[in-house]
Amino acid sequence: MDNYRQEKVHKFEEFVDRRLKPDLVHAISERDKVFEQQKTFSDLRKNIENLQKNSVTSLRTLVNLGSEVYMQAEVPDTQRIFVDVGLGFHVEFTWSEALNYISLREEKLARQIEEYTHQIASIKAQIKMVCEGIRELLQLPAEVTPQEPIF
Amino acid sequence: MEEGASGTVTSLASMFPADEAQKAARRVQDTIAEKHRELGRVRGFIADNAGLVNLVQKLPEELHHDVMVPFGKAAFFPGRLIHTNEFMVLLGEGYYAERTSKQTVEILRRRGKALETHVDSLKSMIEDLKTEALFFDRTASEAAEGLVEITEELSGEESDEGASELGQKTGAPSISVEDNGKVLNEDEEYDRLMSKLDELEKEELAAEAADNIEEETNEVDPDVVSDQSSFDHNLKDMEGSHSCIPPTHSEGQASNEEFLRRKQQQPALLQKFNPDDLTIASSHKDKTPLGKDPSQNLKDPNVADKSLKLPASEENDHAGSSNNEVSIQPSKPKVDSLRAFTGSIIERSPNLPINPGEPSATSSQVPGSQSSKPLSRFRMQRK
Repeated sequence: MDNYRQEKVHKFEEFVDRRLKPDLVHAISERDKVFEQQKTFSDLRKNIENLQKNSVTSLRTLVNLGSEVYMQAEVPDTQRIFVDVGLGFHVEFTWSEALNYISLREEKLARQIEEYTHQIASIKAQIKMVCEGIRELLQLPAEVTPQEPIF
Repeated sequence: MEEGASGTVTSLASMFPADEAQKAARRVQDTIAEKHRELGRVRGFIADNAGLVNLVQKLPEELHHDVMVPFGKAAFFPGRLIHTNEFMVLLGEGYYAERTSKQTVEILRRRGKALETHVDSLKSMIEDLKTEALFFDRTASEAAEGLVEITEELSGEESDEGASELGQKTGAPSISVEDNGKVLNEDEEYDRLMSKLDELEKEELAAEAADNIEEETNEVDPDVVSDQSSFDHNLKDMEGSHSCIPPTHSEGQASNEEFLRRKQQQPALLQKFNPDDLTIASSHKDKTPLGKDPSQNLKDPNVADKSLKLPASEENDHAGSSNNEVSIQPSKPKVDSLRAFTGSIIERSPNLPINPGEPSATSSQVPGSQSSKPLSRFRMQRK
């Protein structure tokens, strides 16, 4: 009986350490990635709105060639913008089209974040629950039911 | 003294448990893997740098290049690179410099060199870690095999004795005997002894240099004695050398006469000479022939004490105190005998012919021989 309980506790602990915790770490890193995307798109939206507001038609900027070496670049026509739509595809938009797309994209990213947050919460809940189970296994025999409500 | 040195036997496993050594080896392996990753990253930087140098060299070849100009991370504008011979290069700390293509390439090359030195240092670090890991592995395996470490301490007295005269008196003879045994037995002990003796010799030489100037005569006597002893190989001869010694100090002819007499008397003189020498050293040369018999009785007790001190006597001579001188001469016969066996003869033999014939020459030679003497003594003992 005692052996069985020990085994069970061991199995639970292993489950938490080998399965739930890595899952949690993974989910959190995924959510961080989505956060980053959300930020890039919100930046892009702000930039396009800025261009619109100032009615910029041509643009000079510095391009990073790598290793922090920059060269001047000129954009003769800012009306057309190519936006990354995923999987390496870029779609040519006008400003208004780009803004439309960006708002849709942001919505989707927000949903994804929500999803990941949910997932993270549930993983945390599972970890907590398994821990509770371990505690029950260890302490119930000593003091039977009265202890349970306290947990 | 040295024989009393305590040896300890410790099993390697007790000092370095096999599993601990393996753990250490594993940790070293981990750091090696880490360094390898860093090496890969730095190599990536080097490749990027080389590519960038190429790019920077090519860009000015055309007036402008059509490119997609990044606009944030997720968008591009169609555009073109202009002013293709103007680069803004980050110098560090947020400072940028406007450079031409050539200047930029120079900067990038310097960066590449720095990266390569980094790679070299990483490589050498990895090599070191590898040898370290090898060492740990070997230690682990040796511990597992039950290897045993034997430590035997060399008594610190020997080295100390050289520095202190008193220590030398008692210690020097013991050293010669014990050293021979140890040397034969253990090379390590031998090496350690050698280094200690070398230090000792240096100290002695320094002390002698100071002392010799003041007390050349005192030192001369022991040297002469030793030379003669090697020459004759006999205690009697040594006594004869003592007779020679006095001439160096004061009168060559008188010493010669004494020398002859002593040779005749040698068997009886053996004991007597020590006291006689003492008297001689004190400058009572005339007394030695006349009062030999009485001197024996009177001085014999002293001789016994002095005889113990014999080995150290030479060094004492260097020190040059009047007391030391007295003890030195009586001690000489015994010292000489030891030396004859140890092989001091070889170094001193060249002086020997000179001493009997030319007392004055012996005195002049003494300083040089003295300097060599301490060395010879120790070396002889080592051999």
